[in-house]
Amino acid sequence: MSDSEEHHFESKADAGASKTYPQQAGTIRKNGFIVIKNRPCKVVEVSTSKTGKHGHAKCHFVAIDIFTGKKLEDIVPSSHNCDVPHVNRTEYQLIDISEDGFVSLLTENGNTKDDLKLPTDDSLLSQIKDGFGEGKDLVVTVMSAMGEEQICALKDIGPK
Amino acid sequence: MQGFPGGAPDPQQLQATMLALEQAWSLIQVHMNPSEAEKVISSLHSSLMPYQTCRFILETSHVPNARFQAAGAIGDAAIREWGILSDDNKKSLIVYCLNYVMEHASSPEGYVQAKVSAMAARLLKRGWVEFLDQEKSAIFFEVEQSIRGIHGPNRQFAAINFLEALVSEFSPGTASAMGLPREFHEQCQWSLEVKFLKDFYCWAQAAVFNTAGSILNENGSIDEAKACSAAFCLMFHILSWNFKHNVEHADSEAKINSGLRSDAINLKKFERSLVKPGSMWSDILISSEHTTWVLNFYTTARQKYSYDPLWSDSSIATSCRQLIVQLCSLAGSVFPNDNGDAHIKHLMHILCAAVLWIEPPDVIASSIRNGASESEFLDGCHALLSIASLTTSSLFDNLLKSIRHYGTINLLSALTSEAVKSFLDNQNEETWVSDALDISLEIWNVILGDFDADKSPMSVDGAIAASNLFKIIVESHLKAAADSAFEDTDHAKYFHVSVSKRDEQLALYAQIARSAADTTIPFLAQLFSERFACLSQTNGENDLTQTLEELYWLLLITSHVLTDSGEGETLLIPEALQAGFPNVVEVAQHPVVTLSWSIMNFSRRCLDPGIRARYFSPRLMEAVVWFLARWIATYLVPLDVSRGHVSRAEFDNADNHGLQHSRKVLNSFAWENNQGELVLDFVVLISMVALTTYQGENELQTLTCQKLLATVVRRKHTCTFIVQLDSWHDLTRAFARGRSLFSLSGRLQRSLAETLACAASCIKDPEASAQYLRDLMGPVAGCLVENASRSDFKSVAQQADVIFMVCCLLERLRGAARATQPHTQKVLFEMGHTVMNSLLTLLEVYKNQSAIINMILRFVVDFVDGQAVFLDANEKSVLVNFCLQLLQIYSSHNIWKVMLSLSSSLRSESQAEKYKDLCALLRLLTNICSKDLVGFLSDSSIEGSQDIGEVIYVGLDIVTPLISLDLLKYPKLSRDYFALVSHLLEVYPEKVANLNKDAFARIIGTRFILSMLQDSDIVERCLTAINALASYHFKERLGGRGGLNSQLMESEGSNGKLQESISSHFLRLMLQLLLFNDFRMELAGSAADAFLPLLLCEHELYQRLVQEFVEKQQNPTVKSRLAMAFHNLTNSNNLSSSLDRPNRRRFRKNLRTFLRDVAGFMQIE
Repeated sequence: MSDSEEHHFESKADAGASKTYPQQAGTIRKNGFIVIKNRPCKVVEVSTSKTGKHGHAKCHFVAIDIFTGKKLEDIVPSSHNCDVPHVNRTEYQLIDISEDGFVSLLTENGNTKDDLKLPTDDSLLSQIKDGFGEGKDLVVTVMSAMGEEQICALKDIGPK
Repeated sequence: MQGFPGGAPDPQQLQATMLALEQAWSLIQVHMNPSEAEKVISSLHSSLMPYQTCRFILETSHVPNARFQAAGAIGDAAIREWGILSDDNKKSLIVYCLNYVMEHASSPEGYVQAKVSAMAARLLKRGWVEFLDQEKSAIFFEVEQSIRGIHGPNRQFAAINFLEALVSEFSPGTASAMGLPREFHEQCQWSLEVKFLKDFYCWAQAAVFNTAGSILNENGSIDEAKACSAAFCLMFHILSWNFKHNVEHADSEAKINSGLRSDAINLKKFERSLVKPGSMWSDILISSEHTTWVLNFYTTARQKYSYDPLWSDSSIATSCRQLIVQLCSLAGSVFPNDNGDAHIKHLMHILCAAVLWIEPPDVIASSIRNGASESEFLDGCHALLSIASLTTSSLFDNLLKSIRHYGTINLLSALTSEAVKSFLDNQNEETWVSDALDISLEIWNVILGDFDADKSPMSVDGAIAASNLFKIIVESHLKAAADSAFEDTDHAKYFHVSVSKRDEQLALYAQIARSAADTTIPFLAQLFSERFACLSQTNGENDLTQTLEELYWLLLITSHVLTDSGEGETLLIPEALQAGFPNVVEVAQHPVVTLSWSIMNFSRRCLDPGIRARYFSPRLMEAVVWFLARWIATYLVPLDVSRGHVSRAEFDNADNHGLQHSRKVLNSFAWENNQGELVLDFVVLISMVALTTYQGENELQTLTCQKLLATVVRRKHTCTFIVQLDSWHDLTRAFARGRSLFSLSGRLQRSLAETLACAASCIKDPEASAQYLRDLMGPVAGCLVENASRSDFKSVAQQADVIFMVCCLLERLRGAARATQPHTQKVLFEMGHTVMNSLLTLLEVYKNQSAIINMILRFVVDFVDGQAVFLDANEKSVLVNFCLQLLQIYSSHNIWKVMLSLSSSLRSESQAEKYKDLCALLRLLTNICSKDLVGFLSDSSIEGSQDIGEVIYVGLDIVTPLISLDLLKYPKLSRDYFALVSHLLEVYPEKVANLNKDAFARIIGTRFILSMLQDSDIVERCLTAINALASYHFKERLGGRGGLNSQLMESEGSNGKLQESISSHFLRLMLQLLLFNDFRMELAGSAADAFLPLLLCEHELYQRLVQEFVEKQQNPTVKSRLAMAFHNLTNSNNLSSSLDRPNRRRFRKNLRTFLRDVAGFMQIE
């Protein structure tokens, strides 16, 4: 075998600069991530079909934009590569909510991060605001992909 | 009316209720506020003594649906309040309903009449055991008068309808629930069958006789026709009765020789069964020429109305035909014991009539395609199926010969080929086509199955008919395949359903082919060679798609002809093929052998990259791989079996030398001249090709991993060969160290790993086997460990390529874990042990990647499942510690976490992921438990070994807070949860006493109340758990110990929350469950088991609660009945205060009586 070598992860630490990574369409599963129309999405449905009975398989993806929640679709031959976004999630402690709708977060190395807005959806907004107002210690998870960031989860680590 | 229940009515009140009901109905019709309207309707159904109101509505309302609801309410209320109605009340209700139906017999709203009839039938059944025979006879006398037509056709119709409702109420399958035990229903069924059913049939017969004349003279009124067809329907329903009271003739040799049999299984597919009413029915069904009369009636009417194309769909024609088909299935001692003569004559008569409905098939089929009705044709097919099920195939064939110059099989062959043709050019997807095809193939199945069983060859005529039919089938399908070759395929939701349906059909075709194997197999071989030639002559210019699609279909049908499907069984070469070639003695000339090798040689060409690119499309490869898997499973016969088989054949059949030799050839040709090894080598090579060069073709790769490789590895004799092949080593090396197989999807990584790991058990030398596994999985585990311990792992971990790699590795580990077998367990435990720490690292790093978390959990679940039974104390403690750590980390990441997302579907996705994780965690705990099921014998005194019970309690305590009450509404999750809890409480009740209070309340607490509302399976588990706890408590207290006294619970008392002991808490719960909820009788047994120990522990509280409860009742009748019921519950049947088995049994009996007495009137509250 020509390719018989120990496998190891090829990525280097600095490869994080690349925002997406190619992956064969046939191996992308439901709940995986995919880039459609240059937007990072989460796949909610995959179905396969063939072009003519004796043609090659193609995958039909239905996916949801992880930031806007919009539904997107794409059809790709299953042997071709799709772009898969690097989706990062980082946890920060919530230290303040400012009047203008920005939050102040405490980073791992002790700095603050002040460039994130609160979610726009009312119920989500109130979950954060109420929890913070009640004096709970909140940890928020920030999801980032392809240069965008958003608060995606909230955890109550309890009053100290 | 005398005795009609309910007090003197208040006219205004009646009017108001009626208006409210009518109003509610009109709102429902326009979809306005339906929930309010439904409330009004259901309040009528559940109100106390609503009879006067209902009667008023029935008699005065102009809204039919209000009358319909009122009728239903009478029935529901009477069943519920049966215990408090007087005998007069009951009878007057029934008589009232019957009179109502008779008086309004000409009303146009048939459904109201049907409902009232049904209520009368229901109430009559409820009182069946109480009423005296004279009372019943009096009711039936009126009914009979009406049926005989004395009061005109409308009342005749109404009375027939009532009997039909009665018959269906008395058949267990269609009976309505009455809260009574099964014995009651059986008693009613038996009594009706013995005393009345035959009379009913006679009355219906009389009704038909009376009206037949005028119908045949075309001067019958519409009402008469309606009554006549209702009578036919009633007769049909009576014949569908599941007759119990009959004595069969002893199966005499003579009867078997006559060619009759009874093969009811095949009728069940079409929801029919044999009719065996027994000898009592002989006089009215057989000796009175009843069947002949019905047949003549139908045939005459058919001629009379031949000018009317719609007649054969008229209700009278349909019901009459239904009856005829049902008469066709008559069997058993209803026929005199005369060697089957009467039965054969009976079948002959029916066949002579029914043959007109299906012959000539081509003419009839084409007229149906042009719009004529198909129902007669289909009924004819059904009749034919019944006849086939009741006769041997030679008798079946001969039946028609007395009136035609050909046999029934010839007719069937023509019929089937018509059905196939219509099926294939069925543009509008009409259902009759597939129905006709299904039935006719089923008839073949019946008669060919019979040939198989008897080993008697088919007649020459029959074989020719089958062979011709198969040719037509193949040609039609090839044409259809070529025509559809360019269509796109959608792997829609129903893809797999349609595949299994198709396989079922192909298997039936194959049976026909096998019955004439000596002509059909060479025919298939010829078709193949034409297409192979066509492919090899092509120069790349012509489009080959049509040929490929034809080959695809040919490969499918040939697989079915040559092999049986039998998943997981040891397959034999089909008997029809073994016996079908008695004259072939040379291997090289055996048609099965030549066909097999020609397909094999063709398939081999796919290894050449150039040819592969030209015409081995993914779809063709799918068929090739599938064919190979089935062929190997059948023809690579284990050597000892093939020898044994042949020698047995010699012994059986010493004089039939040719046949015996041909069997031998078929059983041994595949291994001759190293062919077997070559085929296996080819299997590995083609698998490699399919997995690496057909990128992204999931369907093909799935077949390769899960069908082909799995088949080869699962069979010991092929597996021992294959693990020695060089190509196999290349495959395993590519898997372990190469990159090419990483292009497979995750699921396939798993099944490939499983298959490859499974093969280890076929390497005889234990050292070599272990080394094989280490070589296979070592690099995978190593890679995971090495990378997880990289210092920069955290920073690269979230990159998509790394995630993909981690997923692949986890899937492979899981696949290998699933392949755990006794002698590979050690090595696989080593593998698991090496990755444990890395998995914990991954769990930390990927806490936000739910997919990976879920994979880790599932790997551990499977790993524990495979290992649990083998582990020694040391390994056990390693594994258990690891699991606890895993649980703690998972819990710390997920507890109190809320997902925020704009998209509701993403939110629900994340909810679903969490649900899957929790299911996995519960299964993990259950799997750990499974160790102690088998571990009772192993001594647990070894130092350092942990107590499994404690571990599970800790685990459960970690997992429980994650399971929100909302999640517990999912049946699967809550079933798993309560299965685990009840297992624990049964096995380790003493641990509960030592739990800290919070933990105890968390695990057991309020969840039980909630669960009581769920499906009976879960409630049953809860009851088991309560039983376990309470019995433990009782025994401890008996022994003078504290039991569970320290565990207190908060419960809703009469004055706010109160703290009380666990057993009192459960006692309150049990009483509530039994009295107020709609308690299901099937749970009575386990409820009694849980109730008894509670009652014994908390006797004083019980007395107090009962007292309170009885006092609360307003109605004095109810009060005294309730007090009596409670008294009987604890005092009858010599109930003692112990928990031994006889006492539990007595209490079960008491509780059943109690529930029956009480349940009805308590639900009114």
